[in-house]
Amino acid sequence: MKDGLVGLEIKELEGVVVAHVTGELDIAGAPHAGERIAEAVPTSARGLVVDMSELDFIDSSGVAMLFGLVRRLSSRRQELRVVAPKGKPVARVLEIVEFERAAPICPDVERALEAID
Amino acid sequence: MRLQARSLAYLFIAGAALGLLTLVFPHSDQIRDFELVILAAVAILIAVVIWVFADRVRPWQLHVVLATGTIILSLANYYVEATVIYPVLYTWTALYAFYFFRLEIALAHIALIAVGYAVVLVLVEPPSAVVRWLLAVGTPLIAGLLISRLLGMLRVGVQDAERRTRALQESEARTRLVLDGAPDAFVALDRDGIITSWNTAAERLFGWSASEAIGVPFRSLVTPEEFRDRHDERRTALIEMPQVVAMQRYDNEFLRRDGTRFPAEATVSKIEIKGEPFVSGFIRDVSERVRRQQERETLLREQAARAEAERVAELVSGMQLLVDAALAHRTLDDILEDLIMRVRGVLQADAATILLADEEERLTVAASSLPRPSQGEPGEQGEPLQVGEGFAGRVAQTREAMLAHDPAPADLPDPALGQLEIESLIGVPLLAENAVTGVLVVASVAPRRFSAEDLTLLRLAADRVALAIEHARVYEREHKIAVTLQESLLPAKMPDVPGLEVAARYLPAATEADVGGDWYDVIPTPTGGLGLVMGDVAGKGLAAASMVSRLRSALRAYALEGHEPARVIEQLNRLVWTEARDSQMATLLYMVVEPGESRVDWVNAGHPAPLLVNGRGAGHYLEGPSSVPLGVLPFPSYETVTSAMEPGSSIVLFTDGLIERPGELIDDGMAQLAARVSEAPDDLEELCDHLLQTLVPSSGATDDVAILMLRNLPVTDRFRAEFEAEPEALSQMRAMLRRWLRHAGAGDNAIAEITTACGEAATNAIEHAGGGAAARFEISGRNRDREIEIAVRDRGSWRHPREGDQGRGLSLMRALMDTVEVAPSPEGTTVRLRRRLDSQGGSG
Repeated sequence: MKDGLVGLEIKELEGVVVAHVTGELDIAGAPHAGERIAEAVPTSARGLVVDMSELDFIDSSGVAMLFGLVRRLSSRRQELRVVAPKGKPVARVLEIVEFERAAPICPDVERALEAID
Repeated sequence: MRLQARSLAYLFIAGAALGLLTLVFPHSDQIRDFELVILAAVAILIAVVIWVFADRVRPWQLHVVLATGTIILSLANYYVEATVIYPVLYTWTALYAFYFFRLEIALAHIALIAVGYAVVLVLVEPPSAVVRWLLAVGTPLIAGLLISRLLGMLRVGVQDAERRTRALQESEARTRLVLDGAPDAFVALDRDGIITSWNTAAERLFGWSASEAIGVPFRSLVTPEEFRDRHDERRTALIEMPQVVAMQRYDNEFLRRDGTRFPAEATVSKIEIKGEPFVSGFIRDVSERVRRQQERETLLREQAARAEAERVAELVSGMQLLVDAALAHRTLDDILEDLIMRVRGVLQADAATILLADEEERLTVAASSLPRPSQGEPGEQGEPLQVGEGFAGRVAQTREAMLAHDPAPADLPDPALGQLEIESLIGVPLLAENAVTGVLVVASVAPRRFSAEDLTLLRLAADRVALAIEHARVYEREHKIAVTLQESLLPAKMPDVPGLEVAARYLPAATEADVGGDWYDVIPTPTGGLGLVMGDVAGKGLAAASMVSRLRSALRAYALEGHEPARVIEQLNRLVWTEARDSQMATLLYMVVEPGESRVDWVNAGHPAPLLVNGRGAGHYLEGPSSVPLGVLPFPSYETVTSAMEPGSSIVLFTDGLIERPGELIDDGMAQLAARVSEAPDDLEELCDHLLQTLVPSSGATDDVAILMLRNLPVTDRFRAEFEAEPEALSQMRAMLRRWLRHAGAGDNAIAEITTACGEAATNAIEHAGGGAAARFEISGRNRDREIEIAVRDRGSWRHPREGDQGRGLSLMRALMDTVEVAPSPEGTTVRLRRRLDSQGGSG
């Protein structure tokens, strides 16, 4: 499923929602993608993994989307993990904005799932 | 001779009878009976012979017979021995001779008689010689002379009567002959209408012979049932006329014996024969004359019809010219002007006006033609007429052609006519599909008055005019829709994509009424490139335009989803195949060009191949598989071809209208195009114009022509681009920026970071742009010894970033670039970003 240049695949693994985001996340696609991910997380879910391992680009809009998800989930006591391998442009941006202070960044989906108990 | 011969025969019979009487009555024995009987028999025999041959007897034969009679008489006297009775016979003989013959011959006969008588006297009773000679010669001579005088007078009377009778008979015979020989039937009727005379011509004419017709009532024989009373009336009237000779002529119809009818001319007159009135008449069969007259009338009618047909044909061809003109992109107004002149010419009218009806049943002067054009602008002074109002209004209301003489000023269709002395007006309604679309009025100036024939002619003209107007209206309507539709389908403005230059031209055919199915489109791809489309939908007009519309929307949708060209075309083929009716098809060439890339990806569905022109102007047509047009097969295979395209070279896409010219091979047209391109100016816009000027005939294109050109600009140390202030522009901007940065020698990380920073600046520009829908922002870059400087400029006012999400952009920029300068000004805000490629960025 594509939304603008953003590709979004959402699945659920062991009570955790995994959102696989591809393409380029900017102001054209981020707000809508954030809405869709948030809606896909039921209250019953233990947490959310946003997989950005194959995302080519992220800007402040994408970052804002992630912070928005963190806010939503924390109010429901659900955990958020972001997958962003180090050395990639996305990880660099998340590093600059110090996203790790809001939610953990994991190198892959498995680690992210493990991190949610 | 017949009369003389028969008289002689009577004379002989009389003589024989007298001779025989002397034998019957008592007589002396001296009479020798036997000899007398012989003589009487001879006389009777002669009488019979000349009676029988009375018609053929010749004068000299009569003389011989008469002389023979004298001898017989003399012999009879001798045998009777009586001399007393016989002088009487001699006397009658002499009288005969006098009566019928000339005097000399009569005297000769009398002399012969005298000799015979004298001989008898001498032989029978010899008296004194003197007495006997006197008796013999004197008696018949004196008696003859005396009586002949008497008879001479009688003879004249007899001859007169005879001549009269003969003349009458001859006259009758002649009349008979004349009547019989007459070419016309001659019929005479008595006062009761009974046929009394019937000549041979009448026999021929009616088929009844004279014996059948005479004595029969004329009316029952030859007068048709319905005319019998009239016949009686006319006959009675004629009979009762006081004039004896009254001649009348009637055209009649009569019946032949076989029952057939024929027209006849009867010349009848009243005649009176012995106080009894008769009706006589010559009857002439005039069916031939009637037939000839009918033929002549038919011929005249045919001639008139032919003349009419020729006139109409001329009119029609004139109208046809106008219809042709209508097809050649002519407006209704132009056509009306032409029509009106034409109508005026055909009717030789002095003025003509066409009024057109609108939906509210108002008639407005649409065109007017006056003898002198200087008499004001027609139609401007006139208020619209309501249907039923004025002459034209009445024509529209009744839908009938009307002729009016000496019209009132209010009836004039155009007030400008008021200055003329209008003698008559003809108005005919213009009908299209049973609706009154207008009224055509022509006017004649005194002394000319229109006739009913002019009315008929105008009616014919009106049919054509109505047709032409309707045609023009329908055409205008459809053409307008089609043109509007097509114009809406062609991109109004070329997308401004950095590194790519685009130009296009569309030239509709000069001679075609309908817009064609040629179209092109330029679609910015999400990756910063351009999709170029050049297509040709078969057919024309609305149908083609609507097909173009569907193809265009579908192609844009598919292209934006980022499919490769061949898949896009396959989807379009499905669309045309499933949606299009009547085996509609379309050729299409779709090409994707990324700026800065040395290649083009394209796919061709039956369209002319694209022309690639390198930086030195040399052109060649790109080679690649051309598959079938769209809509031909359900699942054709389309293949994306990748061709090399050096920076600085151009691609020319076109429709066949550019290379096809009547009577020329397509290959020649393609060679021409390549040649014109190579000699052409460098600027793309000028190149487009140059191609149209040199390849399209000066008289106008025969088919629609579309040209689309793209140039792949070489990447330089500087760039400048403008984008719409829309979020969707960001990805294009980034794609363009990445390519430039790569060209500038930036590494992957640097490219990503600089692009991110510029994206933040652009996002700010979009958010602050203001200025409504048409707002744009500009980005320019410069590479100076690996020092990259990028400026993003908008026309909005800079708002200082608040803390939180909004401020993150600025921090990102600062983190990723060496320096970030924000320079707000009343005209807008400029964000200037700098970074050395060797640095890691993020000066902090």
